[in-house]
Amino acid sequence: MKVKIISIPVRNQETALNFYTGKLGFVKKTDVPLGEDRWLTVVSKEEQDGPELLLEPAPNHFEPARVYQEALFNAGIPYTQFNVEDVQQEYERLLSLGVAFSIQPTEMGTVKIAIFDDTCGNHIQIVEMR
Amino acid sequence: MTFYESEIKRIRSTIYANQGQLNAVIGIRSYINHHYDRELSLDLLAHTGFISKYHLLRLFKKYYGQTPMQYLTDKRIERSKTFLKLGMTISETCFAIGFESPASFSTLFKSRTGKTPTAFQKEQFSQSQISTGSETLQHHI
Repeated sequence: MKVKIISIPVRNQETALNFYTGKLGFVKKTDVPLGEDRWLTVVSKEEQDGPELLLEPAPNHFEPARVYQEALFNAGIPYTQFNVEDVQQEYERLLSLGVAFSIQPTEMGTVKIAIFDDTCGNHIQIVEMR
Repeated sequence: MTFYESEIKRIRSTIYANQGQLNAVIGIRSYINHHYDRELSLDLLAHTGFISKYHLLRLFKKYYGQTPMQYLTDKRIERSKTFLKLGMTISETCFAIGFESPASFSTLFKSRTGKTPTAFQKEQFSQSQISTGSETLQHHI
């Protein structure tokens, strides 16, 4: 078995695509129309053959998914995390692009973390290994 | 304060309360990151961090979930992928990451990635050709 796709629930796929590519710097990999929705994936620019993020609209179609996403968001829990070389640098870059952070760069033992709002219903954590 | 923020505070004050231990393991991990191309032993790493090798083993495993030598191997494999992508030969890559034998490097690389270094490099090369080809095509369109 191999890890190829990781799902991220999003409220609006187009908004998510714009945020994940325009702000975070991911690259669109697959975009297949599926009726009203799309099979829409993005990959890391530096690792384009790596795992794909599936921007899936489950919260719009499956009530428990919406409830779960909302509960995680209200608790400040990041559903997903991405690794970066330098959290402080990435924090400043994203801040300058208007991204809202719920937790500023914080040292936590052997990692440094920060958490931002992906505007699609999720908190996302960025992590730097120390 | 959200639930997650309170959890961060709780974990910091319990699991990560010993700053001296943290500084030691973070320093040794950083040393590995900068010297993975050299011959590194547990004795040398312990000497660098001014702690006994048994203490180092325990602490590193406690904070990173793996031994220093396991981390060193991961680091070397990760770097070797970068070097192979850049077009370095198997032997050049082997020596650049601190291995002495291309044969043992190839065996380890295959056990970790499922491919030999040669197969990995060919795959990267063909992918970059496809990518360049599609960019050229898009340019013409």
